[in-house]
Amino acid sequence: MQKIRVLVAKPGLDGHDRGALVIAQGLRDHGMEVIYTGLRQSPAQIAKAAIQEDVDVVGLSSLSGAHRTLFPKVIEELQSMNAGDIPVIGGGVIPSEDIPFLIEKGINRVFTSGSTIEELANYINQLVVPANSQVAKKISHIGIAVRSIKNTLPFYTETLGLSLEGLEEVESESVNVAFLKIGDSRFELLEPTSETSPIHTFLEKRGEGIHHIALDVEDIETRIRHLSKNGIQFINTEPKLGAHQTSIAFMHPKSAHGVLFELCEEGGGEEA
Amino acid sequence: MGINQKEIEKKWKDSVEENLKRFPERKETFQTSSEIEVQGLYYPENDSNYLEKLGYPGEYPYTRGIQSTMYRSKYWTMRQYAGFGSAKETNKRFRYLLEQGQTGLSVAFDLPTQIGYDSDDSMSEGEVGRVGVAIDTLHDMEELLEQIPLDRVSTSMTINAPASVLLCMYIAVGEKQGVSTDKLTGTIQNDILKEYIARGTYIFPPKPSMRLITNIFEYCQQYVPKFNTISISGYHIREAGSTAVQEAAFTIANGMAYVDAAIESGLEVDSFAPRLAFFFNAHNNFFEEIAKFRAARRVWARIMKEHYQAKNPKSWKLRFHTQTGGSTLTAQQPDNNIVRVTLQALAAVLGGTQSLHTNSRDEALALPTEESARIALRTQQIIAHESGVADTVDPLGGSYYVEELTDKIESEIEGYLNQIRDIGGAVAAIEEGYMQREIHRTAYETQKRIEKEEEIIVGLNKFKIEEEVNPELLKVDEELERQQKSKLRKIKNERDNDLVDSTLKQLKWAASQNGENLMPYILNAVKAYASVGEICNVLRKEFGEYRSN
Repeated sequence: MQKIRVLVAKPGLDGHDRGALVIAQGLRDHGMEVIYTGLRQSPAQIAKAAIQEDVDVVGLSSLSGAHRTLFPKVIEELQSMNAGDIPVIGGGVIPSEDIPFLIEKGINRVFTSGSTIEELANYINQLVVPANSQVAKKISHIGIAVRSIKNTLPFYTETLGLSLEGLEEVESESVNVAFLKIGDSRFELLEPTSETSPIHTFLEKRGEGIHHIALDVEDIETRIRHLSKNGIQFINTEPKLGAHQTSIAFMHPKSAHGVLFELCEEGGGEEA
Repeated sequence: MGINQKEIEKKWKDSVEENLKRFPERKETFQTSSEIEVQGLYYPENDSNYLEKLGYPGEYPYTRGIQSTMYRSKYWTMRQYAGFGSAKETNKRFRYLLEQGQTGLSVAFDLPTQIGYDSDDSMSEGEVGRVGVAIDTLHDMEELLEQIPLDRVSTSMTINAPASVLLCMYIAVGEKQGVSTDKLTGTIQNDILKEYIARGTYIFPPKPSMRLITNIFEYCQQYVPKFNTISISGYHIREAGSTAVQEAAFTIANGMAYVDAAIESGLEVDSFAPRLAFFFNAHNNFFEEIAKFRAARRVWARIMKEHYQAKNPKSWKLRFHTQTGGSTLTAQQPDNNIVRVTLQALAAVLGGTQSLHTNSRDEALALPTEESARIALRTQQIIAHESGVADTVDPLGGSYYVEELTDKIESEIEGYLNQIRDIGGAVAAIEEGYMQREIHRTAYETQKRIEKEEEIIVGLNKFKIEEEVNPELLKVDEELERQQKSKLRKIKNERDNDLVDSTLKQLKWAASQNGENLMPYILNAVKAYASVGEICNVLRKEFGEYRSN
């Protein structure tokens, strides 16, 4: 597997880089590739370096008290360069009361004085590489395109003897969905509600049949980032809201040998 | 007792008498709580090594201290580093500290000032007034020093790359107060080499930086003779992670580079060496710290006398300020830091420091609050007035352990000095990254030892408690940056801008002429209310900027 790439950066004018240097070395000893920017970097320079170096994570260090201004600026710069998906973590002399503010501004986590390199390395590992190398533990559901739920439902409930869990409209996809439980998984019957629905297009091209397979994942954003990093294309890289308040994202079938896979994180998923 | 020692002992006793005329002892008699009399000095008789290695205090090689009576006459200067936000706010803190019995001022500047950017420069964003006071023009300096009598208070300024500019502002304020330059006392840090090594507030490359420094030496020797023109600093080298030995060795190596540069520029060693001062750290390993101070004094004395052939004994004396170790403080259980600071301060006093800053308990979290700063000052006052350690000179002199440690540290310092000499001196060693690598190696080893719990930090990796680390912290008003910018705009509108332009043009010319001393030109620009950024930008254009690799 590729080494995790980390950019360690010193925003602003602060010259105290003992912490930054020790961390750079420590992460290297944990098998990561570390790029250190040196002193006096502007937020724009840091964002640019992060993109050029194609890093997985950016670590900011500041001891001068300028973190409230400069850390959020780095996030803004990354976003303006379409690299808002690179996670940013911070460290240094940062009062605990400032931490919620920084998290709200998009910093993933703040490591203050007394944190160990071990903790930091573990955190970065789980931030960048999902803890489990198996993407999903189970199939969340199999999506099946139908022209009419009403006409199809008897086959599933009567012939196959499955129980109907519920019906729901998913606006983001312009579909009505019926859920049928089978063990820990489900069938999802998808019926287009308009001609702009991707299911409508699918039916026109191929007729009724299996549309996609959804994999049940944890921490969908990390998964997307990690799979993208390994060359998998996504139809949507930002997770969107699926049925049952799930966060979902579709892999492009070109990247998956003709199968449309959906990543699906149940509950607690952030709204897209 | 050998004849030699008798003679020297007499000489020392004479110098004690001499010293007491100027600085009488604090008390008529010194006693322990059991009324046992405490002598000024305890020393061996019939010890052939004594004169060679230790000597009497105030006598070469100064292992036991640079004055014959040390704190029996006068305590060290209690000098707390302070400065935050606006000049007005800092002025208030200074006056508070002076009322509380502090005996000298120490100014912390914000990073834009230290790196020669005005508050309205885009580089300054978020940093204005953060780690110290923001000074853009003479106007800010006037506010900073308002109602502080510069003929009676000595001021230490932690300023390096633009030290010449801030010193000129200080001189200009003195002039307005009617204090002539020869009455001004204080210190500018002015130590650029350790900025390249450890602290990072450099502007120009080493060569023009060394020129600015020797210009200051020359100017002050003539006009500001009581000002310490440099404070050669090991403090930041230590904070960056070095050992005690590396701290002392690299600092002395840097000191030698300044002496070399000044001599090369045509100055005579005894004309500037008496105004060189040092600045060391005090960490937790109690006896090692004491031995470090004693060894550093002995090494410097030998270098100045033997290597540079200085004739004036004042040139041989290593005078130093100490600050307790910021990096030893923990954000966890911050009150424990008071105890660490006490031990470190005690080591500095037993090591014979001339002045001392004690850190505040909350410095691992933010700038100190007024209450924390007061406890820090009280710590020094308790050591001075209650512990009795100041009642005899060098009380640990003659301890088998401390003397052995002093010798060992001295020889390790010399080992490093030889290595640096082989590389071609401190400047070459810095450019090559040698010192930086050595310090980084030590810093990383330390971190690993702490994580493996081979080194115990109380409250951090042992004896931990669940705590909300949320004591009351000092906040710098976020509005300040905006206010400082508008203040600067106002000054730039109101001053005589033709005069500013012409003084800056003259400065530019002088900078291009190697033989010119830049100080008078900078002083003229400062008096015309040219800003720190404007002056430094002129010099940036002429000198270029340093980039670390």
